[in-house]
Amino acid sequence: MLVIAALLIGACQQAPGGGQKPAKLTIAAVQGNEDAALKAVAPLYEQKTGIKIEIVEFPYDQLYEKLVTTFKANSATYDLVMMDDPWMPKFGTDESLQPLDSSYGFKRDSDIPDVVYDVGTWPPPRGAVPPAAKGKAAHLIGITIVGNVEMFMYRSDKGAAPKTWDEVKANADKNKAANFYGYLVRGKATNPIVADFLPILWSFGGDVFDQNWAVTIDNAASLKAVKFLVQDLKAAAQPGPESTDAADRDRLMAIGQGYQSTVWPGEITSVIQNASVSQVVGKVAYIPMPAGPSGKGVGMMGNWLLGVPKASPNGQAAADFITWLTSTDTQKTYVENGGIPARKSLLNDAALNQKNPYFSALAKSLDAVPNWRPRTDQWNAVETILGTNLNAALAGTATPEAAVQKAADAIRTLMKGAGY
Amino acid sequence: MANVTHVRPAPVKRAGAGRFTRQERLAYTMLVPILGSIFLIVTYPFVLAVIQSLQATNGAAFVGLQNYVTGLENPLLYEALGATGIYAALVLPTEILLGLGLALAVHRAIKSTALRALFFGMAIVPLVIPPIAVGVIARLMYAPSYGVINHILMLTGVTHDEINWLGQPITAMPAVASVDVWQWTPFVYLVLFSGFLTVPRDEIEAAQVDGASGWAQFWRIELYYLRPLLVLIVFFRLADVLRVFDHVFILTGGGPGNTTQLLSLYLYRVEFKFSDYGQAAALAVVVLIAISVVYSLVTRVLPLERK
Repeated sequence: MLVIAALLIGACQQAPGGGQKPAKLTIAAVQGNEDAALKAVAPLYEQKTGIKIEIVEFPYDQLYEKLVTTFKANSATYDLVMMDDPWMPKFGTDESLQPLDSSYGFKRDSDIPDVVYDVGTWPPPRGAVPPAAKGKAAHLIGITIVGNVEMFMYRSDKGAAPKTWDEVKANADKNKAANFYGYLVRGKATNPIVADFLPILWSFGGDVFDQNWAVTIDNAASLKAVKFLVQDLKAAAQPGPESTDAADRDRLMAIGQGYQSTVWPGEITSVIQNASVSQVVGKVAYIPMPAGPSGKGVGMMGNWLLGVPKASPNGQAAADFITWLTSTDTQKTYVENGGIPARKSLLNDAALNQKNPYFSALAKSLDAVPNWRPRTDQWNAVETILGTNLNAALAGTATPEAAVQKAADAIRTLMKGAGY
Repeated sequence: MANVTHVRPAPVKRAGAGRFTRQERLAYTMLVPILGSIFLIVTYPFVLAVIQSLQATNGAAFVGLQNYVTGLENPLLYEALGATGIYAALVLPTEILLGLGLALAVHRAIKSTALRALFFGMAIVPLVIPPIAVGVIARLMYAPSYGVINHILMLTGVTHDEINWLGQPITAMPAVASVDVWQWTPFVYLVLFSGFLTVPRDEIEAAQVDGASGWAQFWRIELYYLRPLLVLIVFFRLADVLRVFDHVFILTGGGPGNTTQLLSLYLYRVEFKFSDYGQAAALAVVVLIAISVVYSLVTRVLPLERK
């Protein structure tokens, strides 16, 4: 009886989210370039605090599946989880994560752009808000550890930086030659083609939804953007853009067969600027997205965030780890190990820019406030519908008009069924 | 006529007043761990899936057969079934014919034990490579610009232009299927080669004495003995085709459009992309019932035992 009473008292005294120092924190992370720097600096935390950091890696899609099933089961398997920013609405709506501001006192740091905090906040502080999240208090549920923003790359040894998508098209046509492609389209079905397309769509003044979740992917501006990708850019693109993913694009760029394309920072560090695999180191420049007919160029957020699952019994320790990881000192070591920071002081550091020639473009892209993918828990489904139909248009099995109409109809049905 | 006395075995003495003999109790006791494992691994998840299929996706509200109706009304399901049918029609006959031909050729032409062991070892290799790795390698081989397949075809003059293998509906499915054929034909070969070794030697020798041709020996004797194995192969491979996912996902992601979106990829998307857990569970239950019916029909039509 005494033992039971002692256990009960102990349990009652424990702070919510776990105030005791655990021996180990387990992180579910994405396998690849995105978690390489995290793996490199994690042992330093053990040296400093004695808390072992165990990183369990999964490929991109499997990580999402694992998180969905783990959260659904309310399992305490992971103390921290790494999440791509389009997943945040799903996990925010499902209330799968602990609020980092109200529970652990996280505050915004002026060295980190607001948009980086906004992307980890649920409900979103600006833009369309899902019906189920309207009126709810906004909380920070994820902190960015990979400051990804989609940018643009081009062969600076062969031409000048394009300021507009029209110049992109003109450069593509001018530079296209045998075994050298004017524009590398990342057009594989679903996520890849949508990632390539959205910055073009936004720069053309189109969008998937308006502020009230009405579908706008079939309006005139959106259709013009679709035609630009699947007709104009395809005409100067590599063979088989319909099955091209990021790795294929990087390979073509690295072996000197591509002139320009969109690019994620992770691709730059792992392939394009990697002298052991790339023949174009020093020949490629990085810039924010070119402007479209709307007059502005819009990059796309692709941040990776760390969050604390609701079921984690070690919330405080997990939050302490995030604080340590995102501190300026740790971020310097993180960058030395290939990490992609979100701190302006590091992105604008001249010495770091020498080693990482895309840092200033990334800083400018963050300053310009890139768009995030629509903040709806239905985004994965929307992306699948849109990506399948765009891929069909790119492959020529559907006209742009038919593909856009089919996608719009399916998205409208989906959103209506989801209460939008 | 001699009197025949039938001797019945003495009844086994029952221990105690229970319904089972000691041997029966021992047998049932030994079966408990196996049946328990089957219950945990097969029955319990199936029951959970059935329950999930009758519940709303958001919450546990009972919705009757609504998920089944929604799932079966979606035209994408039938596109996926069609794609799976085409995939099965491409891979099953090809793998069985190639595997059978290879097994027959090795059985007839190669008598050296060392060479047969070499073939055995080579056949094992594709089976132990993870499908995701096979998909990545195949993606590199089929890639335009630097893929080895186009390079060889152009080098040998078979084609003058690069073929966009994974980007055109007409070539994407055969390209995806070819990976399956490469990986699983060795399985068919291994099973059927083992089958050839079990064909009674005396029957073959008797046929040879009677002047039967090689073809007649195969058609009338060996194939007869291989039939149960062929049914087994169809069973295994059909189940695998319904589960094919990794290499299709890597190669085409279901594209172009939905051309190579097979049933497993479709179910994955319903569950993880559309987060429609109820509909995904309902479709999984429907597929399980459908495949059970097909299997029971096949076992009635085709022989599973040698007579």
